[in-house]
Amino acid sequence: MLDLLIFVAVPYISIALALVVTPYRYFSGRLTWSAYSTQFLERKTLFWGSVPWHYGVILLLAGHAIGFLFPSAVQSLLSNFSTLLAMESIALGLGLLALLGTVILVFRRAFTGIRAVTEVADWIVILLVLNQAITGVYMGLFARWGMEWYLHTAVPWLYSLLTLKPNIALVSGLPLMFKIHVLGAFLILAFLPFTKFVHFLFLPFGFLFDPPILYRWVRDRRAKRI
Amino acid sequence: MDVRAQLVMTFNLDKCLGCHTCSISCKNIWTDRKGAEYMWWNNVETKPGAGYPKFWEDQERYKGGWVLKGNKVKLKAFGKLSTLLNMFFQPHMPKLEDYYHPWTYEYSKLYEGGEEDDQPVAEPVSLITGEKMEIEFGPNWDDDLGGSPLYAENDVNLEERRILHTFSKLFMFYLPRICNHCLNPACVGACPQRAIYKRGEDGIVLVDQNTCRGWRFCVTACPYKKVYYNWNTGKSEKCIFCYPRVETAQANACAHSCVGKIRHVGVLLYDADRIDEVIKAKDADLVEAQRRIILDPNDERIVRLAKENGIPDSWIEAARKSPTYAFVKEYEIAFPLHPEFRTVPMTFYIPPLSPILATQRIAYEVEDYDEIPSRESLRVPVRYLAKLFSAGNEEIIHEALDKMIALRYYMRAKNLGESFDESVLRKAGLTPESAERLYKLMTLASYEERFAIPPAHREYLDAKDAEMRKGAKGFGILSSTRGGV
Repeated sequence: MLDLLIFVAVPYISIALALVVTPYRYFSGRLTWSAYSTQFLERKTLFWGSVPWHYGVILLLAGHAIGFLFPSAVQSLLSNFSTLLAMESIALGLGLLALLGTVILVFRRAFTGIRAVTEVADWIVILLVLNQAITGVYMGLFARWGMEWYLHTAVPWLYSLLTLKPNIALVSGLPLMFKIHVLGAFLILAFLPFTKFVHFLFLPFGFLFDPPILYRWVRDRRAKRI
Repeated sequence: MDVRAQLVMTFNLDKCLGCHTCSISCKNIWTDRKGAEYMWWNNVETKPGAGYPKFWEDQERYKGGWVLKGNKVKLKAFGKLSTLLNMFFQPHMPKLEDYYHPWTYEYSKLYEGGEEDDQPVAEPVSLITGEKMEIEFGPNWDDDLGGSPLYAENDVNLEERRILHTFSKLFMFYLPRICNHCLNPACVGACPQRAIYKRGEDGIVLVDQNTCRGWRFCVTACPYKKVYYNWNTGKSEKCIFCYPRVETAQANACAHSCVGKIRHVGVLLYDADRIDEVIKAKDADLVEAQRRIILDPNDERIVRLAKENGIPDSWIEAARKSPTYAFVKEYEIAFPLHPEFRTVPMTFYIPPLSPILATQRIAYEVEDYDEIPSRESLRVPVRYLAKLFSAGNEEIIHEALDKMIALRYYMRAKNLGESFDESVLRKAGLTPESAERLYKLMTLASYEERFAIPPAHREYLDAKDAEMRKGAKGFGILSSTRGGV
């Protein structure tokens, strides 16, 4: 029953929320679309929290995505044991970095001057993120070779979700920490359109190719003179 | 040649009395909101002084503006790759304390507090946390302290700090500042989200509140620190040149309310194709390079090209009457603030004349100086003015001061019916006619002469939905600013 909730119900509800509410918010409430940086009010602790967290999580998310998108290529890469060992060590290191960052950020939320700008949504965001870091690092330490078994359990299950034929059998036997990790991941997806998580949608890359100065014209420049 | 128009403000520093009326009218209209309490889109600071935010001119500290590297102009703070790497923490961004922690007083305690043995007091409380606080710094904390070693000595433009220890050499003047609405705005160049843009029609630089995600690179990049981060909405804001007012041909709130009538607003035509020349000029040539791309609205060829570019007739007419064109280009007495930041700022300052340097020796000889002193005897060192307004080029500051001194000689003689040697005017590059015109513009100009602001003609620009727009325009964030459950 619990498995059905974690591996079928929550994922579909979360995906539906993300797909429906995100565009709604984009078109109706873009004034609230921000990373809500609090650096302006508190910067010393933020540096030690935000930087490790983001550097860690971005690379780890990229790893999850690569495993999901190219399972067979990753499989052949990891078939070399020393590669697997190296990659796992790097991932664990990044996980610890992200965990360190989130723990610092949680303390920062609780005990520094930014309490004034903290709302329930901020706590939801940071606790969900903390959950991912703790469960992720736990699996890195105590459920070894996650990179390997991820490819044979979670990835095919995710594909089964996408093809609307969810196959719980692939993941139901996995440890509780994994289930919490998955539940947390989909809750993040569910809360994404409602919280500041939206800041990682529409990441800025266009500026890399643009000329530096941006002009906007109200009128067509060659339009008829007034 | 790509002729464009921009609305430009000039400040006659001689006439600024430091009353802060401009700042207050700006605050009342635009920044009296949660998250914006600390922002002063218009502020007036005492020079020499640390400024607002503290030490904003020190780019070794804040890394604002552009730098010339070989033949390339680059942002001082970040390249494109390092922009991506610094999204999560801005190492050079000023913190709240560099501006000041905004506060109010518990006024309600004065009449709501019960009967007590002591007088009730209204204690200061933070406008951010709501907790009681100790006021340690505020806007204009160093107001009028141009001689104080505490703040004035930290002025980065002041080379000779000893000046502050010699009472007879002390000087100060006021420097009102708004966003410069630059031709090469560093905030626009730094924004990874491309939320900041320069309006093509009037040159006003704006932050699109719908696109801004609060990455804060603009705050670092603006060397004038005129883009502010709103801690409540999580977005950046800046001076909007009162566009809802100037679009309807009204003067900006700050300029309109200016008690000393130091501000003039008018249209400048410029050649957008040659901005590149300006930003790559040598430091000493920066002001003159900028003057060169400002175009003469009486030149038939320029007018034709302007019309081809879609500049309305009313704008060309306004450019002809523009007081800013007179100050910046015809008389060449108005200068951009810190052109060495290479943003090509488009507000201009007429440097102040000042009382003579009264050393003990010359106090007895003051009559030798005639009624109006020569520029060498002015209290404000030309070197200091050159650091502020011409990237160190003292020669062009000299020329401007000479013009204003000659004007004073001339007008004094005229008013008193005394004879006057016209060669003094000619040497300064003036004629009796041009001197009188300048005198009128600087002292007696009417509202319409000070503010030659043409309407934006929005009704024609988007004629289709003009009816729809009627009554639907305005500024304000009406929805809740923070997303949340």
